Amino acid sequence: MSKTPSIRDMLYEEPGPKTKKQIRVITLFAILLLAALLAVVIRQFYITGQFAPRYWYFFGRWTTWRFLGQGLLVTLEAAVTGSIIAFLLGFVLMRGKLQKNKIIRGASVCLIEFTRGVPTLLFIYFFFLVVPQTGWKLSAFWKITLPCAISACGVVAEALRSGVNAVPKGQSEAALSLGLTKTRTFYKVVFPQAIRFVIPSLIAELVIVLKDTTFAYIVTCADLMQNAKVLISNYDAMLSVYLVVALIYILINYLLNKLSDRLADRLKQNPAERSAA
Amino acid sequence: MTQNEVPIIELKNINKHFGDLHVLKDISLKVNKGEVVVIIGPSGSGKSTLCRTINRLETIDSGQILLEGVPIPEEGRQLAELRSKIGMVFQAFNLFSHMTIIDNMTLAPVDVLKMPRREAREEAMKLLERVGVADQAKKVPAQLSGGQQQRAAIARALAMHPKVMLFDEPTSALDPEMIGEVLNVMTELASDGMTMLIVTHEMNFARHVADRVIFMDSGSIVEQADPEAFFSNPQTERAKIFLESITRN
Repeated sequence: MSKTPSIRDMLYEEPGPKTKKQIRVITLFAILLLAALLAVVIRQFYITGQFAPRYWYFFGRWTTWRFLGQGLLVTLEAAVTGSIIAFLLGFVLMRGKLQKNKIIRGASVCLIEFTRGVPTLLFIYFFFLVVPQTGWKLSAFWKITLPCAISACGVVAEALRSGVNAVPKGQSEAALSLGLTKTRTFYKVVFPQAIRFVIPSLIAELVIVLKDTTFAYIVTCADLMQNAKVLISNYDAMLSVYLVVALIYILINYLLNKLSDRLADRLKQNPAERSAA
Repeated sequence: MTQNEVPIIELKNINKHFGDLHVLKDISLKVNKGEVVVIIGPSGSGKSTLCRTINRLETIDSGQILLEGVPIPEEGRQLAELRSKIGMVFQAFNLFSHMTIIDNMTLAPVDVLKMPRREAREEAMKLLERVGVADQAKKVPAQLSGGQQQRAAIARALAMHPKVMLFDEPTSALDPEMIGEVLNVMTELASDGMTMLIVTHEMNFARHVADRVIFMDSGSIVEQADPEAFFSNPQTERAKIFLESITRN
């Protein structure tokens, strides 16, 4: 073992718990790979002159950031509004799917499958091209927000339904045995527990809605993506702008995921299981 | 006991199938006011199902269920109203896990009986005191032991001032050292004159607390007797075999 250990040596011959070591090795390997990849990319950027000041100087102006900020605000507004609408529609569809009445249930199932199956882009084109012909005038904001909401509502409905089904049957039996009606049982006992189960998947859906709003440029709604495109054509700087915008999107979605973890932890039924933070 | 003519609970010719399995075979049964009826029998005999049909948590194929002479309908507002007069205690406690104990206690009195919240709380605390878990009122169910949870569940049912209490194997999910505390609460309830129908495997409890023992096997009531007579001198062959099999352990 006096020789410098190769990766192979570390994997098979070093003492200690095997799995622990494997993880360490794979992590190291991954970091090296990433570093190498990053180096290649940076080198390529350098060679092609992407670091030239003319691609970056405008990020030193606060007007650039204000412009991007305005776009970001529209993006967030569309994502939040769209998510709220998706939640409300999804809730109605979920209630519909859990009804005894066959017609209501059938219609809900069809709508859920339809909205889940059709790509968001098609809904956007529908609101962009078809809806105006009916004489219904919508602002650019709603032309992006509504299709994003509709495209998400079926998924939300299914997520909520899985949450409702995950609530033990004894919970509703206990409520019914105390004389609560079916409806009161649902709102007082079943749904409050169901929502706790599905918060992570609901937030994941919020992330998808947020990403779907990047199609806003199609309907010329001035969201972050659209404003980024304006910057690109103004300064003829594609890569730098896309890079910065991508970082902004990543940051927001990262924060959303953190929020989801926090919420899931907060809502644990036994306070003793919550993490100290 | 002035109303002995009208039983609190009356079942008339109840039949139920699970697919091909005939789980309740033409069961008729009366429970009078103040009576403590214990149902025993081997597992799969339909005793739990019978208990759950009384407040229609299980559907039935035919037959009638009456509460103080009033038929309990299959669904709707009247069913909810009649259910509120029948307390039920489950094997798995079924406390609402997203609520504190005190909120568990007050939900139905406020929601169903339209009791003012403060009044409901005061009464809830008295009941929790009575079953010995008043100090747990602000905790959620998961923080309580099984025995504490079941006692709180009994208190929750009592908060509705039920005409009768149904117990569906209330101690089967408990550790041995917690069974006693729950049975004590039930014994006290019985001596206070509560009408009770209890499905249980606790033979000692049945023997000492019950006014009447009902022995069920494969969907039928095989034998009914007062506990002393039943345990010391069972009349049917099946009851004899059952009692032998449990005393052997």
